[in-house]
Amino acid sequence: MTRPALTDERPAPTAGSPRTAGPAATPSARRRRFGGLATITLFLLPALVLFGLLVLAPIAVAMYTSVFKWNGLGGMPSDFVGLDNFTRMFADEVFVGDLRRGLVLIVLSITVQLPLALAIAMLLNQKMRGRAFYRLLFFAPYVLSEVITGVLFTMILSPEAGLANQMLGAAGLESLRSSWLAEPSTVMMSLFLVMTWKYFGFHMILYLAGRQGIPKELGEAASIDGAGSWTQFRYVTLPLLGPTIRISVFLSVIGAIQLFDLVWVLTSGGPIHSSETMAVTMFQFGFKRSQVGYASAISVVMFLISLVFALGYQRFVLRRDTEGAITTMRDQR
Amino acid sequence: MTAPAQAPARTPGHARPAAPVRLPWLRSLSLHAIVLVLGAFVVVPFVFGVVGGFKDTGQLSTNPFGLPSPWVPENYTDILASGSFWRQLVNSTFIALATMVITVGLAAMAAFVFARFAFRGRELLFTLFAVGLMFPFAVAILPLFILLRTLGLLDNPFGVVLPQAAFGLPVTIIVLRSFFRTIPREVEEAATIDGCTSFGFFWRILLPMARPALATVSVLAIVASWNNFFLPLVIFNDPNWSTIPLGVQQFYGQYSSDTARILAYVVLAMVPALAFYAVAERQLIGGLTAGATKG
Amino acid sequence: MSLSRRGVVLLAAAGLFLGGCGGQGSTGDSGGGTSSSSAKVTVEWWNISTTEPMKSFWAKKVKEYQALHPNVTIKNVPIENEAFKAKLSTVTQSGKTPDIYTTWGGGVLKQQIDAGLVKDLTSEAATWIADFTPASLQAYQFDQKTYGIPYDIGMVGFWYNKALFAKAGVTVPPATWTEYLDAVRKLKAAGITPIALAGKEKWPGHYYWAYLAMRIAGLDALKQAAIDDDFTGPDFVAAGARLKELVDLQPFQKGFLGAGYGTPDGQAATVGNGKAAMELMGQWAPVVQKDAGKGLGDDLGFFGFPSVEGGKGSATDAFGGGNGFAVGVNAPPEAADFLKFISESANHRQAVEMNALLPVLKGEEDAVKDVNLGVVAKTLAGASGFQLYLDQAYPPAVGQEVNDSVAALIAGSKTPDQVAQAITQTAKSE
Repeated sequence: MTRPALTDERPAPTAGSPRTAGPAATPSARRRRFGGLATITLFLLPALVLFGLLVLAPIAVAMYTSVFKWNGLGGMPSDFVGLDNFTRMFADEVFVGDLRRGLVLIVLSITVQLPLALAIAMLLNQKMRGRAFYRLLFFAPYVLSEVITGVLFTMILSPEAGLANQMLGAAGLESLRSSWLAEPSTVMMSLFLVMTWKYFGFHMILYLAGRQGIPKELGEAASIDGAGSWTQFRYVTLPLLGPTIRISVFLSVIGAIQLFDLVWVLTSGGPIHSSETMAVTMFQFGFKRSQVGYASAISVVMFLISLVFALGYQRFVLRRDTEGAITTMRDQR
Repeated sequence: MTAPAQAPARTPGHARPAAPVRLPWLRSLSLHAIVLVLGAFVVVPFVFGVVGGFKDTGQLSTNPFGLPSPWVPENYTDILASGSFWRQLVNSTFIALATMVITVGLAAMAAFVFARFAFRGRELLFTLFAVGLMFPFAVAILPLFILLRTLGLLDNPFGVVLPQAAFGLPVTIIVLRSFFRTIPREVEEAATIDGCTSFGFFWRILLPMARPALATVSVLAIVASWNNFFLPLVIFNDPNWSTIPLGVQQFYGQYSSDTARILAYVVLAMVPALAFYAVAERQLIGGLTAGATKG
Repeated sequence: MSLSRRGVVLLAAAGLFLGGCGGQGSTGDSGGGTSSSSAKVTVEWWNISTTEPMKSFWAKKVKEYQALHPNVTIKNVPIENEAFKAKLSTVTQSGKTPDIYTTWGGGVLKQQIDAGLVKDLTSEAATWIADFTPASLQAYQFDQKTYGIPYDIGMVGFWYNKALFAKAGVTVPPATWTEYLDAVRKLKAAGITPIALAGKEKWPGHYYWAYLAMRIAGLDALKQAAIDDDFTGPDFVAAGARLKELVDLQPFQKGFLGAGYGTPDGQAATVGNGKAAMELMGQWAPVVQKDAGKGLGDDLGFFGFPSVEGGKGSATDAFGGGNGFAVGVNAPPEAADFLKFISESANHRQAVEMNALLPVLKGEEDAVKDVNLGVVAKTLAGASGFQLYLDQAYPPAVGQEVNDSVAALIAGSKTPDQVAQAITQTAKSE
């Protein structure tokens, strides 16, 4: 059990197979197959029960209401309207705008927020004084509640006396001053700025954990080979971080599709719907206008978009990770 | 996992523990400089929040970014002196820890199966879990509420803990599965040869080796629970069960709110969650090699 | 697995320990038939009084009531306004309500009544309901039946900074819309921001359109439009056009589209700090100006919404709303009895004298101590008619559409005609 990471020291997978596939292994393999099934059931069941009961069942009920016109009161819905809620949605310019804005947020998250989180994670993985403190600092925004993030940033980005404008003024950058959240043309950029501040810590700690999973020996070996730190990062760290990055991209996209709290406290989707997201529209109709059937329909569409993305992503991107999986069971089949 | 295999293939022999590379002071300085600049971007809103907690609301409005004059430490001291804050802290802590234990426990077991076993329907089941991420929670709250009421879980901490754990499973499983996969198959083979059962491998080898990942998902579960507002709001009527996010409501009125108090309250409420991160962080630094040699 | 199950039991036990002996209150299923006064009854009461002085005031009244009725436990649950709405909507959707809960009447209450969730108090409260002023009861009455008991009411008007008005040479508060627009021009010319508006929150903007519609089309036309689901009449378009005249003067503070109401840089603080000359707001405005900003002190004044030349509505018609309590359909009779208790003149008057509530009982006006609130109470008492907030009076979807469309008009993305069309379209689809 020493140095499991040094794969070159161990017999290659093919070389190892005679040991498990030898004739002596057959009875034990049968036992293990049974044991495997039992293990799978035993290990999976608790999570499945909890998840099925408290997540899947409520979701199924909520989906059911999406084909009704229903104000949420008076027992179960009865006014069946078929797909009317869905056709109405795609005729609504606010909802179509939601789709466009969602896409913008996804693209920005992947191209700006994630690389930033990765860069900071790599920086904070270096040996340096106060590293633990810096990590704590960079993670702190993620711990702060959304509501307070909203309170702080509406004041910082306030058009009249906000800190951002004051600092730009002091730095002689008057031309860059702006109304930030109060202006349809700048609200999305401002929202994304706050989003980055709030959420990059989440991805940072994913990367940190992923970086920890990379054996030190690989980096050392590479540096003995004379690789510079960039080469090391590019050819050793980055590929090894692949699975983490792919998960992080996945969670980031789903998160952008579902984005609600931060928008709600910062702008409530305004001015004039210019920062509204699907989840905000859904909340407006479900809780403010008590059109629960229509709100359910919006959430079904959100769900379908996420699902299509997830399936595609799994099929084309995560597949590589799946193939890398090592399974006792498959060896014996 | 194909690309990384090439990197060690170039290594001559096996790696002797290389002498730790001393960073030249110049490099260390520039490192600090970069981190400090980025850190400033992060820290300014916090400083503003902490200092804002020392003002009264009038000052926050007329002098939002200067130093308080006069300083109003009562915002902090009153909260610390009130019994309800501490009770909410205990409630929040209990709910967060219970949520974490259940989420991470169940998810680790499921992720183990998803990561290291091949069986028919595996990807389908896995996708089923991922589905939980893709539906806005707010819409599911009504059926969930009716269910919890039927189960008699209103005004019961497990009425919050169990749904939180259930909704936390997807992210946790997805992250853990990906980490469990990175543990080389040779480790498992060696364990099997040593006579480890699946459970033994999971418990004695996989979990210790995945400590950074476990620490990470634990932190995420705790933070999610710590800031959860909607579920406790709907489940708890009894103020004895109030959690921190519910407690901060006392400073919101129907028409206006005591923003300075809210800032002070939230600053204080953040401390335990950050402390937990600081503790978990040690696990993050611990890392894979340590875990492996121990196993 | 037995080990982990024991773990769960242990956790649960620890939970009970930590929570003290909470969670033993019944949720209003105490059976409606217990009229004998000895049986133990629990009445669950959700209200939105999370701040002083009302928080302590209600707690005191609960104690007093319980002392008089030892068999009754009032479970007092104060919940913050927005959180209350979310929580109540979840609970009502599941088919139950608390025994007593805060309501603002109007369209939301109507939906709950239609779903069979709300108790008709007409006969239970028959003896004491006549003590209330008609305006305060209006929001809770449908088809001559009463479904809620008011405890506070107020109205919307202009709260203005006398010093800034004087500086701009406006000495008399404007009485007509033309004069009002003139005043706005003068303020602008003097370099003063005339009006603060919370564009982010939308409801403050709807006050302008609603008042203009009241002044131009009249109260009856507004009621009829809601019945016919038709807001396309020329008077409603004219209301939008008048508002557009105001918007075209660019009277609002910088960045008003992103401004909140009670936040440290919001509408109330802007007026309270003297950065804008006025706001159109309800009776709570002075308190919030002071809480969120510095407050104007003696410089603060109040004038009613001006009349519009040639309009059908009276300049003394008031626009506003209040707070009340509704009773769940399965609540025990003690619920209504408790409402009777807090509505008794001796009890309600105390809160009015504290300047915490405005009069809802006849002849209570003299109890108001605060000058500004006194003006509101007097104006309200002398009002020729009363209109509930439109976003409250109409079904929620229509009310929100009013807010949304008017906000779009103010932001310049909808014409007066489109506003009328959008509201009508939503009303017809409800």
